Amino acid sequence: MRLIESYMDALAAALHVRGRRRRRFLDECREHLTNAAADRGEHDAVRAFGPAATIAAAFDAEAATQRALRATSLTVAGVLLTGASTLALIQGAEAGTTAPALWAIVFFVAAQLAGTAVALASLQGLAQRHETIAPAELSLLCRRNLTALVSAGVTMFAAGAAVPGQASPFALMAGPVLVCVAFVATLRARHLARRLPGARDAATRSPLEDLRRLLHAHLPELTPARLLAAVTVLAAAAAFARDRAEHASAAGAAATAGIEAFAVVACFAFFGRELGLWRRAATSGSATPTHTPA
Amino acid sequence: MRRDLFRGHLESLLLAALAGAPGHGYEISQRLTRASAGEISPTEGSIYPALHRLERSRLVTSAWSVGDGRRRRVYSLTDAGHRAVDASRREWATFSSAVDRIMEMAACA
Repeated sequence: MRLIESYMDALAAALHVRGRRRRRFLDECREHLTNAAADRGEHDAVRAFGPAATIAAAFDAEAATQRALRATSLTVAGVLLTGASTLALIQGAEAGTTAPALWAIVFFVAAQLAGTAVALASLQGLAQRHETIAPAELSLLCRRNLTALVSAGVTMFAAGAAVPGQASPFALMAGPVLVCVAFVATLRARHLARRLPGARDAATRSPLEDLRRLLHAHLPELTPARLLAAVTVLAAAAAFARDRAEHASAAGAAATAGIEAFAVVACFAFFGRELGLWRRAATSGSATPTHTPA
Repeated sequence: MRRDLFRGHLESLLLAALAGAPGHGYEISQRLTRASAGEISPTEGSIYPALHRLERSRLVTSAWSVGDGRRRRVYSLTDAGHRAVDASRREWATFSSAVDRIMEMAACA
């Protein structure tokens, strides 16, 4: 069994995943090779099993996918629960408190960024849940999760700084605790994903493509620029309608809509690349949005 | 047969190999080779990432089993796995009959 042992050493050295999953995989491979060697000899058994590096890379990719999808579920739960904790915080604010403008802006921008990032991560996770995700897209999924988690934390912090008050410690802590758990899970997934070949390649992924896969529906193809235009118009219209519903003047509502539109465009410019919505054109080196179909 | 011809079908083949009875990885690879008279023999190590993926999708389930003094991970189809086998069998029948018709057309030309 010397040949099998040296193959198993090579497989173990090439494998990056650690823990129970690693032990199970190696046990299964050893058992397979032992059975195969009894039937047709060690040399043939090892040859038919395939190169150790290739098999290890395929298993690492599957393990990283599993971790990233679990981290995405935790991220969704963490962001939602942090939203609930933030609402509890706002409900518990002292009567008559007025939020400083800076904290109010941070609150609204971070909340929308958290919502966007978690929506992108959930769509990607759902669309790719039955496949082994390519390393570059795994890194993208982890970035989307991390952006959502950090933004959710900033949202709650901004709410606490803007309107101090009192609420049940359980209601306040539930969200942040789950965010921390999801953060660690995402970092673990990213750590494994980054060791896979191609993990640092740029990846873009349109949410419309994910929606198309999930709904099996015909949705229009939109370049990142058109997607941005559509989202900006929708967000500005929603901000205008919300302000008018709260009895603001038309001019005041229009100003809010303008701020909202500016925030959407600025977030797209600052975070769009990290979130895989656009990437730099490779030839010109300019920041022209380009679209890569998923 | 060229390996790349069935690369996209490995998961369907693994599910089909488990449709009759549960089995461990080596047994499954032997079933594929026997049933295809040696025409289909995937790189055996690639079966395991695919089986783990099928387990993540809840199409198969697995458990350690001890027999002949050896410990083996035995895979079996779930209800969803049985439904997936039926669906892929229908899909394959439609696809292969379409390819047959095209190939016959080419032979007649």
